[in-house]
Amino acid sequence: MALSTVAWVTMLLAILALPGVASVVLVRSLRTEGRKLTLLREQGNLDSYSPQALKELREWIRTNPNNPYVADARQRYNECVRTLREIDDPYYDWSDDQIEELEVIEE
Amino acid sequence: MTDSPARTAREEWGSRFGFLMAMVGAMVGAGNIWRMPFTTGQNGGGAFLVAYILLLYVIAVPGLMAETMVGRYTNTGVIGSFRQVLQSKRGQGLGLVVLIVNVALMSYYAPIIAWALYYTVHSLLLTFTQPGFQPQAFWEGFISNPALVIGMHTLTMAGLAGVLVFGIRRGIERVVKWMIPLLVIALIAVGIRGVTLPGGTEGLAFVFTPEWESLARGSTWVAALSQALFSTGLGWGIALTYGSYLGRYDDVPLGGGLFTAVGNTSIGLLAVFATFPVVFAFGLEPSAGSNLLFISLAEVFPELPGGAAWAIVFFASFFFATFTSGLGITEVGVTTVSEETDLSRTGSVLAVCGVIWLLGLPSAYSSSFLDQMDFMFGTFGLPLATLSIIVLVAWKIGPECARVIDLNRNTGIYVGRWWNPVVKYVIPAVMIFILGYGVISSIGTENQTLMILGVAFMVVLTVVSTAVMSIIGEASTGSVELASEGGD
Repeated sequence: MALSTVAWVTMLLAILALPGVASVVLVRSLRTEGRKLTLLREQGNLDSYSPQALKELREWIRTNPNNPYVADARQRYNECVRTLREIDDPYYDWSDDQIEELEVIEE
Repeated sequence: MTDSPARTAREEWGSRFGFLMAMVGAMVGAGNIWRMPFTTGQNGGGAFLVAYILLLYVIAVPGLMAETMVGRYTNTGVIGSFRQVLQSKRGQGLGLVVLIVNVALMSYYAPIIAWALYYTVHSLLLTFTQPGFQPQAFWEGFISNPALVIGMHTLTMAGLAGVLVFGIRRGIERVVKWMIPLLVIALIAVGIRGVTLPGGTEGLAFVFTPEWESLARGSTWVAALSQALFSTGLGWGIALTYGSYLGRYDDVPLGGGLFTAVGNTSIGLLAVFATFPVVFAFGLEPSAGSNLLFISLAEVFPELPGGAAWAIVFFASFFFATFTSGLGITEVGVTTVSEETDLSRTGSVLAVCGVIWLLGLPSAYSSSFLDQMDFMFGTFGLPLATLSIIVLVAWKIGPECARVIDLNRNTGIYVGRWWNPVVKYVIPAVMIFILGYGVISSIGTENQTLMILGVAFMVVLTVVSTAVMSIIGEASTGSVELASEGGD
């Protein structure tokens, strides 16, 4: 029995959405690890947040000053800012101007 | 419980590949191979796949991100995570619930690994291609021989202990790094062989032809929900435990969430190609569960050219799938016991494997007892455990707090605000729905008594666990504890 066109389409879409995506994610995950390890070997340190993620972290710290996790958040924020100032080649897509504008938060 | 004696530095995964293979290996199990193909075919084929893939991306991926994140953030096992986040001795009781459900699940999963081991050994002995081989009689002869099934159960637990005793990097990681790639290669090879058999495409037609009207049936969505949530291992405590061994520069969303859920389901899809074309090519009755593997498929190997080799490839891959799950499930208990008691890693492995071996004896002895345990813990225990872990992130830490502080830290993909309502409302609602559906659908059926027993057991388990931990639990420090951060 030959497969109908709709069964072919469903099968190919399922292959694309599952093993296709899994393969891409696996390769991307291994490549990002490789880049992180290279940067760590060269610089000894890595920035932990992307510009968007760090902006959201700063906003969350500002709006949740009494949250029990805020001390941890401030520490992680400041650590990322200090690292960005120390290293030459950030892992995330940071521009020099963006790094220049960053300020540490009083802990 | 102890007063946290000084311990050596916590172990970490040796490589990204090792962590990813361990996560997928833990989540890929018997259900992917003997249930997913049949569930797909029975619930509308391609239409079911659409519902399933949708729910996988919308619910399972964010849920696994949350569970892995808790482990990475707290750097501890299940009870330690609940202690750090809930800051109460009683709250640790929910961690104990997750641990007990996990041990109970493993007690009846270990005999299934033992079945796979037995069939793998016999495939190597070329039993399935001997003249006069009768699969039904062979299966019944095995399953009704208490000494044999208990012996295989013992061998399985000894094998798991033998790997776990070497720890994360030298034990689990070393094994999964070759077992999972071999499993994938084996399933692809069997799949190609099956599809190229005369009549093999009928199996694909059964699975992939969409019956769109099935999307209007509630049962299709419930089946898709159950498969998407439970076959991905969400809420078993495995993602939390494996996540606790991640380093500070490791990503959570891409590997712990997306790859784990999609990779696991991809192997389920490969199982579709590996099983159903063969079943249909030989005119066998498609079924789910042990009958599909140990009777239906064992029947076709003698008739396949090179059948002995295909039997080895197929049963070895099934053994790899179940054994790597066994490692993940058992490690939840091992990590927790080694952290919460004075026992060494070796002592914890022996204690946990010994308890699982003992509790698994009834399931090894009686497959109907195994089915009853599966009904009770699969239907009521797992949603309860999942709910406990998700509530920890969604309602105690808070999804926005978790997302901005930890989830998006060192991430390979940015997770937006869409994640918050999914974790806070959708997943808990789905879990409560599944619990309720399990109760309602059992009323008036032969499972009614078992359902009442299951619900009562889970209520008692929760009450007793919280009471016990309020007495013996380790007091929290009174402030949010930071996970100790080591280098990569």
